[in-house]
Amino acid sequence: MRKTSIVIGFAASALLAAFNTALAQDDVLVLDDDVQFDADADFGFDDDFFSAAFDEDSSASNSSWLDDFTIKISQQFSGQINNHSVDLAPGFSLPRKAELETNRLGANIRYQNAFAPGWLLQASAQVRIYLNDDYQYRAEGGSIDIESRGNEFFLQRSFDQHSLKLGRQTVVWGETSGNSVLDVINTTEFRDFNIIDIEDARLNQWMLVWDYFGEDSNFSSFVNLYPEFNPPAVRGSPFFFEPEFNLTDYDRDSSLLLEAGTQWRKSFRGSDISIMAAYLYENQLRFEDPVTLVGDAVAETNDFFLLGFSANRAIGKLLLNFDLAYSHDVLADSFSFPGTASLAKPVNLKKDQIGTSMGFEYAISNEQSVSLGIQAQKLLDEDEGLLPGQSLINDGVFGSWLVRYSNTLMNSDLVISSTLQGDLAANSLLALVGADYTLNDNWAISGQIINISSNDESPLLFFAEDVRLSATLTYSF
Amino acid sequence: METQKFRNKLITLFAALILLPLSAAAAELSPREIMEKFEDNQRATSNSALSRMQISTCKFGVREGKITCAERPRVKSLESVGKGYGPDLKDTKSVAILLEPAAERGIGMLSFSYDDGARDNESWLYLSALGRVKRIASGSSDDETEPGSLFGSEFTTEDQDTGKLDEYTINVLEETTESGRDVWKIEMIPNEERARKSRYSRTVNYIDKERFVALKVEMYDQYGKEIKRMLGSRVELMNDIWIARSTTIMNLVTNRLSNMAFLEMHTGIEVDDEFLTQRTLTDAAFRETELEKLRAQID
Repeated sequence: MRKTSIVIGFAASALLAAFNTALAQDDVLVLDDDVQFDADADFGFDDDFFSAAFDEDSSASNSSWLDDFTIKISQQFSGQINNHSVDLAPGFSLPRKAELETNRLGANIRYQNAFAPGWLLQASAQVRIYLNDDYQYRAEGGSIDIESRGNEFFLQRSFDQHSLKLGRQTVVWGETSGNSVLDVINTTEFRDFNIIDIEDARLNQWMLVWDYFGEDSNFSSFVNLYPEFNPPAVRGSPFFFEPEFNLTDYDRDSSLLLEAGTQWRKSFRGSDISIMAAYLYENQLRFEDPVTLVGDAVAETNDFFLLGFSANRAIGKLLLNFDLAYSHDVLADSFSFPGTASLAKPVNLKKDQIGTSMGFEYAISNEQSVSLGIQAQKLLDEDEGLLPGQSLINDGVFGSWLVRYSNTLMNSDLVISSTLQGDLAANSLLALVGADYTLNDNWAISGQIINISSNDESPLLFFAEDVRLSATLTYSF
Repeated sequence: METQKFRNKLITLFAALILLPLSAAAAELSPREIMEKFEDNQRATSNSALSRMQISTCKFGVREGKITCAERPRVKSLESVGKGYGPDLKDTKSVAILLEPAAERGIGMLSFSYDDGARDNESWLYLSALGRVKRIASGSSDDETEPGSLFGSEFTTEDQDTGKLDEYTINVLEETTESGRDVWKIEMIPNEERARKSRYSRTVNYIDKERFVALKVEMYDQYGKEIKRMLGSRVELMNDIWIARSTTIMNLVTNRLSNMAFLEMHTGIEVDDEFLTQRTLTDAAFRETELEKLRAQID
């Protein structure tokens, strides 16, 4: 484990040194920090250094169709570096060996073109190439696997007070970042433990979105024309466990599925509030055993109603966030671990649920901030309908909390952050320390170390004592 | 006692004689009036204005006796639209959209800044990765917070701020020359309340007497040590407003500098109030259409 860390650390240092050498100017005396200047000294400044900006003054007229594209290419390595075993039951332990989990080259392409007054076309896609020792490389029997996915693809028409967007897109509700109880419209896919861009995790769906911008408040409404569901875990990924029956997608037959919702939003002095209502399907399919106990698992959908309220309040350096969700007719037991599915036999009851996520962000200084978010949910009348001896997977108040600290250094070139995330029952804890360093306008490098602790009450038990290290090099243009 | 009185009178007379030329020059404009004219000029650059700017930031060093970048600067280019509101148009609403670098393209910030010191400035940020508009709590120069950095540069909201002159003691130290121009060397000392919100215990401003542009500003911390220096150059008349098209701020503590180059600035354009709302951050079709309308006014 130590050897791996040293090698990665050395590689990162060498890379940084190489970049710094490449970017340094010749014959410049670099001053120590906090050097004393003579107050009366009239030190000259080489203003010509920036004169090129004015030479390119007419660059606005030199636009090219390529300007509509933003491309990000990244290479990611990550692995579990702690050799250990997890005791799942007396006499049964699961060995967890140190191994590389991801070695993948990726490209994210984004296109945005306002091609005519009031019209806009936006699209984004990603390609991943799974290289040697990536879990998908291994799952493919040791061959390089290429995967592509379309993300956004929508056409927008804005006129007067209205905006209409048709196509694949996401809709985000709620104020609390990361774990809002109202951010339930988009399906998500978390394949790994690495913290990835949320826009990569949120999956787009075919929707029509209508925004109305009034003088004092705004309405935003959507119809999801083809509701989709969280995809099952990819074979070979850390979340994948061999199911007893094959997990398939929902068999739609001729049934018409639609989701719809609307949000009203208003800004006040120092505060924004929203009220929302929606008819939705739970993003996680519920899988049940096939009737004959032969063949594929049966995927079941569940529709429910959501009423929500969210608000924020800025008080100087403090920003308070609050989300409230009331869900009518959710399945009492729907497996909630993101990106995975369960074949456990859940209680087949519909319940109402109330949930809240709240927290704060506090700017310690311009560079440092700390935030806290707590998400808590509770099924109402949870014992009603249960047979003697039956119990729910989630009884009482359940949820999670998240604390994050970040420090921005060197004019935002270096961001150091640490995150702690756990469940309210204190059964598991995920600790993350990360650093993002922007080398120049195109290159960036990031690294993370993640440690997981869990007791046997949490599904994270399978990952207890895992230590994951990851590094990503990104080139954007 | 009589001797003492006489000596005092003599000193007063002597001082008056020494300061006569300065007083005569300043008689036309008081120190406060000079700074008001300077700020009016500065405010005019963002009132009903469309600007395109480039902010370059780097670690600096010395080459051939001159300060210069010791590394390739990080460059951000942005487009900004602003408009004055309220009494004497001293409140400002503005939108800034990052055009470069590619990784930050499309990030937009909507800011409402108020002249009234009792009212907090408000800011909203749109990040495509976040998928929604987010209110920003920090960075207000009117509350108890430390002034915020402008897009990760050495420029802070305080350095760009106007107004609140009532909260300063303003003195003309001397009339001198700077970069070959006649200037007033003006000292601004914040009162106790302002000092609590400011990084600076004192600033010394070199204001061009003819063009009311700051050619140099020295910023001192509470220990009287100069911590930042701002230099204005390429002073040009743009849309009948004198402006330093190239402004460089040097952080003498971290040895980093940022240069703000005004590539384009167009004032006197008609900005629809609706453009200065959150819609501009989220509705790209609307934003681009309205920006085209603004650009058309220039053409």
